[in-house]
Amino acid sequence: MSDEADILRDPEFRNMLKLRSRWRWGLSGGLIGIYFAYCLAGIYFTDVFARPVLGTAVTLSIALGYLIIVLAVVLSLVYIRAVGKLLETPIVRRGQGQ
Amino acid sequence: MTGSGPNVTAIVIFVTFIVASLGITWWAAKQTRSTGEFYTAGSKITGAQNGFALAGDFMSAASFLGVTGLIFIGGSDALLFVVGVVVSWAFILFAFADRMRNLGRYTFADVVAYRLQAERLRMFAAAGALTVAIPYLIAQMVGAGSLIETLFGLPYFVAVLVVGGLMTVYVAFGGMLATTWVQVVKAALLLAGVTALFLLAMNHYDFDFNAMLKQAAAVHPRGQVILRPGGLYDDPINAISIALAFVCGTAGLPHVLMRFFTVPDAKQARHSIGYAVVIIGYFQALIVIVGFASIGLLVGQAGYVDESGRITGGANMVSVYLARVVGGEIFYGLISAIAFATILAVVAGILLSASAAVAHDLYAKVIRRGDISDQAEVTVSRLVTVILGLSTIGLSLWFRNINVGILATIALAVAASVNFPAIFLSLFWKDVTTRGALAGGVTGLVVVVVLIVLSPTVWVNAFGNAKAIFPYAYPTLFSVSAAFVVTIVVSLTDRSARAKTDRAAYDEQTVHAEIGT
Repeated sequence: MSDEADILRDPEFRNMLKLRSRWRWGLSGGLIGIYFAYCLAGIYFTDVFARPVLGTAVTLSIALGYLIIVLAVVLSLVYIRAVGKLLETPIVRRGQGQ
Repeated sequence: MTGSGPNVTAIVIFVTFIVASLGITWWAAKQTRSTGEFYTAGSKITGAQNGFALAGDFMSAASFLGVTGLIFIGGSDALLFVVGVVVSWAFILFAFADRMRNLGRYTFADVVAYRLQAERLRMFAAAGALTVAIPYLIAQMVGAGSLIETLFGLPYFVAVLVVGGLMTVYVAFGGMLATTWVQVVKAALLLAGVTALFLLAMNHYDFDFNAMLKQAAAVHPRGQVILRPGGLYDDPINAISIALAFVCGTAGLPHVLMRFFTVPDAKQARHSIGYAVVIIGYFQALIVIVGFASIGLLVGQAGYVDESGRITGGANMVSVYLARVVGGEIFYGLISAIAFATILAVVAGILLSASAAVAHDLYAKVIRRGDISDQAEVTVSRLVTVILGLSTIGLSLWFRNINVGILATIALAVAASVNFPAIFLSLFWKDVTTRGALAGGVTGLVVVVVLIVLSPTVWVNAFGNAKAIFPYAYPTLFSVSAAFVVTIVVSLTDRSARAKTDRAAYDEQTVHAEIGT
């Protein structure tokens, strides 16, 4: 399995792995963190979450829920674009061509 | 129910769907000969098609009928579920899509067994897959039977036979290709149906969302409370457990994970989840509005909801009642038929994942140790599909009065507590060992089952005891943590020769997982 060992030692591959991890865990951690905070904040700050937004019947709780849905969709699209580009490196192509 | 007989539109549309789906199955059967074709449609599904199929898997009757009902009862707290679904799919994209596709072939067990001791892990993964699939199948079938009984006036056992029989035919003959296309057609129908329901309902309020929410709070027996948190949950442990059930559970559902392997490569896998996230996000965003809009239109309507908020036929009926109020008999028939098609498509996907666990992981890989011809494995898979299909029909008739909610809870909680830790740690943690993964998985399974039995849902509601021993409805915070802790501790203290092999293979796994060779 020296091919894998070679790829793994390649600085270009290691750099790609590092960037990939950053995207993976940055976005996962960020989004899940926001979701958990949303779940708990509704319990601990009920009155704040019950406040109307811009004088409408829409409460902060409903508005934030929708914002997180939009955020999840937008981040997904950003991720697909970014990672697609990240993987277009010579080392990945060489590895796939083996 | 409102007293009228079977709805002709519903029957016509549903029969059309059945004829079309059987046509798809016939077409797919002609192209399904090898194991690759049977389990993963020869990995020739495109990202867009797979995105619709994945979204279809998740837009089950539970989300279409269940979430509207949940909003009707609990108001904005139901957003915890709705948001959780979208977040969980984005998480699958970020963390799993590439690695799963690059390492697996037919089932998620392929991925877990990539560097850990294959036979033991496959047995464990197959058990995990079945513990998720069987309760999930029974939950859907019992729900379908009762729904069809109400909507079409068919006796319960006939309804269960129709759903069970069709799902078995789709999978046994058409494999993944038929299952995928039935799911794609249904997803398109469901999206169109929910969009129409949203437009017709909002038309009653002249598309004034403010007026719609005010009306909902004005007529709901709980008033303003439905627009603020606290309608359903006021306990942090329950809230976190629900959140964990979604985030970890979705990524542990075998029928969802299996769809990663139906596309040609990791790029298409990413794209398919991208499509799924957009479709599911759109669907969930609409369903919340439909739920709130239904309150103002249904509360106090004779035959649907009485003044105290009690819904005739249960909370699952909210969507179909709303369809009748805003769109008349024809639209009511359309939405009923779509609800039925939804259940049918979802059970087919779950049945296929259960068949693959038994035929591929247990029989071909463990019992026969891989010494089986491709043709023979396909025959075994078809046979297993029929046996599992018939067993599910039998169980659904037997457990007719079981609480469907309990079974659905079990499925997602088991997926989160048993499958998820093993998949996650084997993909991302070098030091996980076979012994650790097995010990953690068994712990997750035992803890999740014991806590569900001791919870209010089973201990009080099903067994009739006065007070639950475990006070929370969802066990995931405890069961997922237990599975992770045990896997980590056992792996770190594992000094066996096997452990060395497990750890040594991580680097090679990482290269394959990242670039796919």
